Amino acid sequence: MSDTETGPAGDGLSEDIPLMQQLLDSPILLLVIGIVSPMLLYVVWGVMEVIAIPLAQ
Amino acid sequence: MSIFPPEQRVWWNQPIEKSEVMWITIAFIWALVMFFMMPYWHLVGEQNLSNEAYKIKPEVYAEKVEAWAAKYTVREEGDTGIPVVRPPAGSDVYMLGRLWEWWPVVELEEGQSYRFHLSSVDWQHGWSLLPENINISVHPGYEMIFTVKPTSSGEFGVICNEFCGVGHHTMVGKIHVVGK
Repeated sequence: MSDTETGPAGDGLSEDIPLMQQLLDSPILLLVIGIVSPMLLYVVWGVMEVIAIPLAQ
Repeated sequence: MSIFPPEQRVWWNQPIEKSEVMWITIAFIWALVMFFMMPYWHLVGEQNLSNEAYKIKPEVYAEKVEAWAAKYTVREEGDTGIPVVRPPAGSDVYMLGRLWEWWPVVELEEGQSYRFHLSSVDWQHGWSLLPENINISVHPGYEMIFTVKPTSSGEFGVICNEFCGVGHHTMVGKIHVVGK
């Protein structure tokens, strides 16, 4: 995806597409973020915490 | 309609309808309220307790509890055969969850802080102090420790609130709190 591609208006202007628009217009990026963020914040962080539980004295 | 591409190539800076801004704002504010309720309930409501946790073999924990109970047993609870254990004020208290009881019955002093230890020797159980509604999830292989300070005297019930089989509804415990 190019920052300066022409859209349906075909105006040919080289105006940069804002990052937020690029994000919301990309279903694959949204899918990846939607899967990776909960996986890191819940599963990976949770497993790290459980592994770090010390042995009882 | 979202079935057609936006009219402007760069649609990000287009003005948004007032009604859409309003519902986005209301939903966002409510999401923030719910998010900050989490630390609020932890700090002010004393729910979702911070606790210490340690890995321990179930049989080792069972031995620890039985030795502690043998040391501080003061009587039996009615004719149930379950010991009532009264540890020294301010010390450690142990309860063990197993199919299907919370063992033993403990007797605490009002106004004293105790380090409460919980674990299970078989399956996952829930320890729910009633009517205070303090809830801890208890797993075999892990010893959970938290601080308890009874603020009123009387009899308090403990029920298992994690389904643990056919006798789950009979899995209860008891805590006596006596005045100073």
